[in-house]
Amino acid sequence: MSKPASGNPVAGFFRAIGNFFKEFGSAVAKGDWGVKASLLISGMGWLKRGQIIKGILVTLLEIGVIAYELMIGFPYIAKLGTLGTVEQAMVYNPNTMKNEVNDYDHSLLILLFGVISLVTLLVAIVLWMANIKAAYELQKRAEAGKHINNFKEDISVMMNGKFHITLLFLPIMGIIIFNIMPLIVMIAIAFTSYDQNHMPPAALFTWVGFDNFKSLFTSNLTTTFGYSFWKVLGWTLIWACLATFTTYIGGILLSLLINHKLTRVKKFWRTAFVVAIAIPQFVTLLVMRSFFANTGLMNKFCEAIGFTGLMQKLGWVSTNYIPFLTDPTWAKITIILINIWVGVPYLMLIATGVLMNIPEELKESARIDGANSAQIFRHITMPYMLFITGPYLVTQFTANINNFNVIYLLTNGVYVTTDQKLAASNAKEVDLLVTWLYNLTSGQYNYKMAAVIGIMVFIVCALFTLIAFNYLIKGDKEEAFR
Amino acid sequence: MKAKNRATAVLIHFILAVLAVIWLIPIVWLLVTSFSAYKGMNTSRFFPETWTLWNYKMMLFEPDTVAQFGAWFKNTLVIAIFTCLISTSFVLMTSYAISCMRFKGRKALMNIAVMLQLFPGFLSMIAIYFILKSVNLTNSHLGMILVYSGGSALGYLVAKGFFDTIPTSLREAAYLEGASEAKTFITIVLPLSKPIIVYTVISSFLVPWTDFIFAKIMLNSGVSENWTVAIGLYNMLNRNLLPNYFSRFCAGGILVGIPIGILFIIMQKFYVEGITGGSVKG
Repeated sequence: MSKPASGNPVAGFFRAIGNFFKEFGSAVAKGDWGVKASLLISGMGWLKRGQIIKGILVTLLEIGVIAYELMIGFPYIAKLGTLGTVEQAMVYNPNTMKNEVNDYDHSLLILLFGVISLVTLLVAIVLWMANIKAAYELQKRAEAGKHINNFKEDISVMMNGKFHITLLFLPIMGIIIFNIMPLIVMIAIAFTSYDQNHMPPAALFTWVGFDNFKSLFTSNLTTTFGYSFWKVLGWTLIWACLATFTTYIGGILLSLLINHKLTRVKKFWRTAFVVAIAIPQFVTLLVMRSFFANTGLMNKFCEAIGFTGLMQKLGWVSTNYIPFLTDPTWAKITIILINIWVGVPYLMLIATGVLMNIPEELKESARIDGANSAQIFRHITMPYMLFITGPYLVTQFTANINNFNVIYLLTNGVYVTTDQKLAASNAKEVDLLVTWLYNLTSGQYNYKMAAVIGIMVFIVCALFTLIAFNYLIKGDKEEAFR
Repeated sequence: MKAKNRATAVLIHFILAVLAVIWLIPIVWLLVTSFSAYKGMNTSRFFPETWTLWNYKMMLFEPDTVAQFGAWFKNTLVIAIFTCLISTSFVLMTSYAISCMRFKGRKALMNIAVMLQLFPGFLSMIAIYFILKSVNLTNSHLGMILVYSGGSALGYLVAKGFFDTIPTSLREAAYLEGASEAKTFITIVLPLSKPIIVYTVISSFLVPWTDFIFAKIMLNSGVSENWTVAIGLYNMLNRNLLPNYFSRFCAGGILVGIPIGILFIIMQKFYVEGITGGSVKG
């Protein structure tokens, strides 16, 4: 059992690391020759106590890691400091009498494999230390005359008391390889000069410190990132608030309508709305895009009923069609509306599930006390909804900050910005930080700025989540239903 | 009172009918256009002038250089099946360990998982692309499977919420009878978890069918045969292709939409329980 976390989790984390080193030190100091030999040959501690198979496996793993680092890892790690110095060039080879490509440095591969090797090395060192600690524990067991597991018994421990290690090994490996290592690489790229002019293998890129972060906040003749960043960030936040709020309220209202006691064939209505979201989003959104095109059906319809004419009279539209997805303001409104279409059915489903569970007695007693429907909604339904769906709302907000599909599928190739300053940094009025990030990488190869923006997205989401979880959602209901 | 009730009922049904029409119009348009004999996007009328099955015939049986629906469907199916197998086992294993076992570092792992999910998904995708490219796995099905299932354990929260509701006493009874943790997991907890297994299986199966952006980054060779359904269909709406392929795009959308839609409707029953962290009972 873990000790209850007392005080600051960060302090606890460092205390745990401190203890780890302390225990390692005392294991080395107090260990017998088997433990001390484990410093060199990892399996010795196990072999000495008769755990032959375990000893051999541990030693083989050690040999494997050392061989990898010596042959592949260290050359890359050594170049991590500069990210390579030899540019690609054609060199005359006197042996073959031809011009050949020299033995150049590939900055990106150095960064990738440097990071991978470094992480592997760190993990290997931690395992190595843990192994010595375990060998010392074994020595203590042996000295106390306790039973020492054979290999078969060790396996059964992995299926029982230490089953979590067996269960978590592969999933965590997956997360390390496909989440953590790529993130480290991308965060590193934010501090390099990796862009269109520094594309390996033809050119090298190198470390530039915080320069990219500085250019994200500067706006002058050569760079307009500062201008674009605040504009895009502003719209991202407005979008995330509106998208979360509108679908949330809309979904609750819709589910109240469907579940009203006077409503007939509830199932039919529910299915009608679920069908709309059952079709994959990329299909429905692309259909919507065609529907709302400047020459699309929606415009024909608006013209027929005189809506377009009305808008022209009001001066809100200067063209003879409504620029649903091509004018900054109209596009933002259309996108929010289409997002309501996409999101409300989901919330309707969730709200239905939650509303069904509000204890009927609660509402009944309120009714007897003379509360009307609106009061019941405000004082019973909403607080209950918020309590249950609070965490979902928070994740929904961050998901909307990262809502790539809706924005990209609706506006890519359709919306063209007229703002030169935005265009210069590959942004559009309707872009979120994430779609901007994508635009910068695809076609522009501006990886350094994309990485910086990615870090900004993280900071925004992290700040919001921290605040929300600290102030809005209290208590841990993990054990509440057991 | 009765007359008032009647008026309210009429009003409710009227609003619901209007809303349902709004929600279904795009779907109906997709459906009717898929039967249109006009190849491009007909903007002058909602329903097609002449009805035909030609679009479906072309999509299913006569692939051309642009529309290779059969190949896309097969690719996506293969990727989806393997993604589903790996993701489901990862998610269930992680959820059980985190929900039912208590060990050192458990809270820390959960905090790390929360933190990792705050980074935008394809920030890491860019680096994954480089990593897979250096081992020649871009433009391959194996690469796509790894991309979809590699980090899938991070989505453990929904299943964990379900496992949290399984009474501890059941597991304790099993331990008392001498069952190991592994045996308890497989013979006691898993059989009780059918809803969440169905949810996990379907939701992970759906990922390759609905994902658009990761596939677009990874499968960039331009060889239409290698694509998944999502990028294939997206490509048909290219400015140059749209006049010739819009009605076929709709047919393709319906063809993939029906099986996916059915799976989604089965899954949505469990979706609510998942989102509310299993705290909704009944």
